[in-house]
Amino acid sequence: MNFVVIAIIILIFFSLGSAVIGMLRGGKEGSNKMFKALRARISLSVFLFLFLMFASFMGWIEPNNILPT
Amino acid sequence: MSNEKYYVPHGTYWPIIGSIGISTLFVGLANQMHDVSWGWPVMVLGFAIVAFMLFGWLGTVVNESIGGIYNKQVDRSFRWGMSWFIFSEVMFFAAFFGALLYARTLSVPWLGGSDNNVFTPELWEGFKATWPLLSTPGEVGQNGTMFSTNFKLVDTWGLPALNTALLLSSGVTITYAHHALRSGHRNALVAWMIATIALGVLFLGFQITEYGHAYHDGLKLTSGIYGSTFYLLTGFHGFHVTVGVIMLTVILYRIQKGHFNSENHFAFEGVAWYWHFVDVVWLGLFIFVYWL
Repeated sequence: MNFVVIAIIILIFFSLGSAVIGMLRGGKEGSNKMFKALRARISLSVFLFLFLMFASFMGWIEPNNILPT
Repeated sequence: MSNEKYYVPHGTYWPIIGSIGISTLFVGLANQMHDVSWGWPVMVLGFAIVAFMLFGWLGTVVNESIGGIYNKQVDRSFRWGMSWFIFSEVMFFAAFFGALLYARTLSVPWLGGSDNNVFTPELWEGFKATWPLLSTPGEVGQNGTMFSTNFKLVDTWGLPALNTALLLSSGVTITYAHHALRSGHRNALVAWMIATIALGVLFLGFQITEYGHAYHDGLKLTSGIYGSTFYLLTGFHGFHVTVGVIMLTVILYRIQKGHFNSENHFAFEGVAWYWHFVDVVWLGLFIFVYWL
C-alpha cells in the first residue's frame, strides 16, 4: 500500500515541476500549462488524502502513531 | 522607451536601507542572546527597518510594473528569479525530509544494532530502535534511566488530519481563484482569494493549538531526534504558511487595485505556485510523519 501512496506523491511532484516549466515559459501557452499542472496537482492531492482515509478505514494502512510494543 | 533595452533603476536608496536594517537586526539579535538590555528593542527596530525596506522596494517594483516601464526581458528575469527561489525552497525542505529519512532508516536502526553495529546495544543496554523513537540514548530521563522518554504522540486523526483537510481545501480555492482570474471573473476571484487566506489563517491557528497539546504531552524540541525533526519540519512549514498568507493578502490588495488582467498576472502565478508547494510539503509531512 505504501507503494501506491509514494507513486501518487511522485505524480504530485511531477505536476508541480510541470507548473514551474509553464511559469518559466510564460505567455498564453505557458500560462495554460501552468494552470492545468496545478489543477492536476490539487486533484491528485485530494485523491491521495481521501485514499488514505479509505485505506485506513479498510484496515489496509495504519497510522504511525501506534506505539510499538 | 525602447522595448529591447533592459530596465535599470537609477538612484534607488532601498539597498542601503536594507543593509542598515539587516545590520541593526543582527546587532540586536546578538546582544539579546547575550542578555544585553537594549538587544531586544534594537532587534525590533532592525526588523521594522527591514519591513519598511521590503514594503518600499517591492512597492517601487509594482509601480514600475504597472507604469509600463518593464519589457519582455524584465518579465523573463522575474520568471527566472522565481524559479531559482523555488529551487532553493525545494532544496531547503529536501534537507529536512532527508534528515528524517536518515534518522528513521539508517542512524536509529544502527544504534539498535542493525547491519554491522552488533555491539552498539551493549553501549546502551535496553535501547530499542523504534520509530517514533521513544528512548533517546545518552540522556538521563525522568525515571533515572539512561533514556529520556515520557511523551505522548499526536493523534493522526485529530488536528493533523483536520489541518490537512483545511490546507487541501485552500489548494482547491486558490485553483478556483486562478481559474476566475484567467476567465476575467473578478468577484469570484476576490471571493476565492478571501476563502484561501481564511483557510490559511485557520490552519495556523490549529497548528498553534496542536503545538500546545504536543508540548503539554511532553513532546518538545529536546525530545530526541523525533521531537527535533517533528518541530523543525512542522515549524518551518508553519513559517512558510505565514509568509504565504502575507503574500496572498498582498495579491488580494493588488487585485482590488486592478493590477492584473486575464493574460498578465505573473505575481499571482508566482504566489499561487508557492501556495501549492506549501500545500504539498504539508501533505508530505502528514504522510511521512504521521502515516508511513
